[in-house]
Amino acid sequence: MNERSLFKTIVISIISLWFLIFVFVPNILVFAVSFLERHENNFVTFSFTLENYQRIFTSVYFTVFAESFRLAFISMLICLLVGYPFAYRLARLKGRVKHILFMLIIIPFWTSSLIRTYAIMIVLKTNGLLNKTLLATGIISEPLELLYTGTAVTIGMVYSLLPFMILPLYASIEKLDKVYIEAAGDLGANKIQTFIKVIIPLTMPGIIAGCILVFLPSFCLFYIPDLMGGAKELLIGNLIKNQFLSARDWPFGSAVSVVLSCIMAVLLLVYYKSTKLVQKSGERGGI
Amino acid sequence: MRFFQTIALLLAMCMPLAASAKELYLYNWSEYMPEEVLQKFQKETGIKVIYNTYDSNEAMYAKVKLISGKGYDLIVPSTYYVSKMRKENLLSKIDKNKIPNFKNLEKSLLNKPYDPSNDYSVPYLWGSTGLSYNADKVKEKVDSWSILWKPAYKGKILLTDDVREVFQMALVQLGYSGNTIKESEIKEAYELLKKLMPAVRTFNSESPKVPYINGEVTIGMNWNGEAFLAQEEMPSMRYVYPKEGVILWMDNFAIPKNAQNINEAHTFINFVLRPEISKIISEEIGYAIPNREGKKLLDEEVRNNPTSYPSDAIVAKGEFQEDVGDAILIYEKYWEMLKTGK
Repeated sequence: MNERSLFKTIVISIISLWFLIFVFVPNILVFAVSFLERHENNFVTFSFTLENYQRIFTSVYFTVFAESFRLAFISMLICLLVGYPFAYRLARLKGRVKHILFMLIIIPFWTSSLIRTYAIMIVLKTNGLLNKTLLATGIISEPLELLYTGTAVTIGMVYSLLPFMILPLYASIEKLDKVYIEAAGDLGANKIQTFIKVIIPLTMPGIIAGCILVFLPSFCLFYIPDLMGGAKELLIGNLIKNQFLSARDWPFGSAVSVVLSCIMAVLLLVYYKSTKLVQKSGERGGI
Repeated sequence: MRFFQTIALLLAMCMPLAASAKELYLYNWSEYMPEEVLQKFQKETGIKVIYNTYDSNEAMYAKVKLISGKGYDLIVPSTYYVSKMRKENLLSKIDKNKIPNFKNLEKSLLNKPYDPSNDYSVPYLWGSTGLSYNADKVKEKVDSWSILWKPAYKGKILLTDDVREVFQMALVQLGYSGNTIKESEIKEAYELLKKLMPAVRTFNSESPKVPYINGEVTIGMNWNGEAFLAQEEMPSMRYVYPKEGVILWMDNFAIPKNAQNINEAHTFINFVLRPEISKIISEEIGYAIPNREGKKLLDEEVRNNPTSYPSDAIVAKGEFQEDVGDAILIYEKYWEMLKTGK
């Protein structure tokens, strides 16, 4: 028992130290730098300013945030619409088919998402697989211009993030007891009513978790819009990278990072509160 | 006890070895030095090369700056970063007496404004950013950047994803220097580029040849090395030097201020400047060597290919990128406006 608690202490302190050095300290540095001024030759000068934050509230950067938000939201919505029926079927399946489908969701995680992005570009390009197939079957007569469009960006995002939606949805649908659905049927609810009034509220924690897991990364994934959308729009990820590297404006880049972290923190808080709320209403039976 | 003695003895034996083993910390662009060259160097001189790579001048600069040039013995900054780092006292002077092969270099590519007497930099490879097009799709004569603004090519244009290059392309058309620091001129270039934005299919600095080969774009900016490589896969690929002047860049060896192995760095530069070694580099990397003697060893086909080796007149008319100091913020501001559609 004693040895065990010693082991526990060591493990916990190693992890805490790791967090302190690689997560906490860098974040504090970023936060501190965001209040300093840019210096041409030394990155920063030690004079306090709030200007970096004021600058974020100009229309150019508002557009950057709004555009990133819009893209993340649309990706999230499509992931939900595609992922829900899939997760639902998956949870109801038994045996080998289920294992195979599960493998198909997990396998992409073994490859870098950058490589997968290049792979889907090969499918979508003008003389790529999709266009060649459509042309050969006579469905279209001119190749579709897919790559470097907004549609391509959405396809890439959904493709990369779909597993993050399916897995939490699956977990909560799996837990769903069939008894509730039968009870709803016995009480005269049709299928749509059952779905809206029983199934959705009961799987709400999964829906929220999936949405958060898709929304947060897609907010800062910038290489997919860069590669598949042709880098024609500026998103938050690019903005931060440009400020640090090409403009060498570390304070402003830091300020944008801090604002981004705050937005994420708020979203996580919303997630936390809403799951609590869902749980509570579940306990009270007030579905 | 015997065991510890043996270990101590072994350690004692290792010490002087470790101290005398010569090393060279080389920090270079990714895929920019053939493995063969490094191995030959190591074999011949006994100097061990520790090789690290970066993918942008900016990333290299930030790292070297933060450690004030300690830890790396040789870096390969491009033109405008040579001038910037030189001004910031981050580079140490190169002793040309230790580099007898310096004489092999092309005179017309030395003493450029970014380092007037090549005291801090030795040219390694050079190239240009010019106009590329697919000759199967573009039938008219292409000799000016202004062709990109023609409605016929709407949605078929590629620009590099590089704020300085894109603005340089617009600035030279307006008759200004591509290295201007005047906001009024940069703004004018922005107005011009804004009209081009709806026609742009993609910005690409990853590998600009790919969208041409894939058929996504038919005309736009390109690097000559990329165009040269693309020609092997796609014979209709063309590369021209616009009459307004081409964007030139040169990657140079430089020694950081606090480098530890300065002698080894000089030995390496001298080694690379050997004609037969620069021939290997040119053949494998695809860009042009600034080495007059090395160029003589290349196949005639390569040597006379204007894509890799433009005429002296074109080089004289072209413009090397220079550091613009704080004006980079003005460029960045208009770049952001361009990309957010303001």
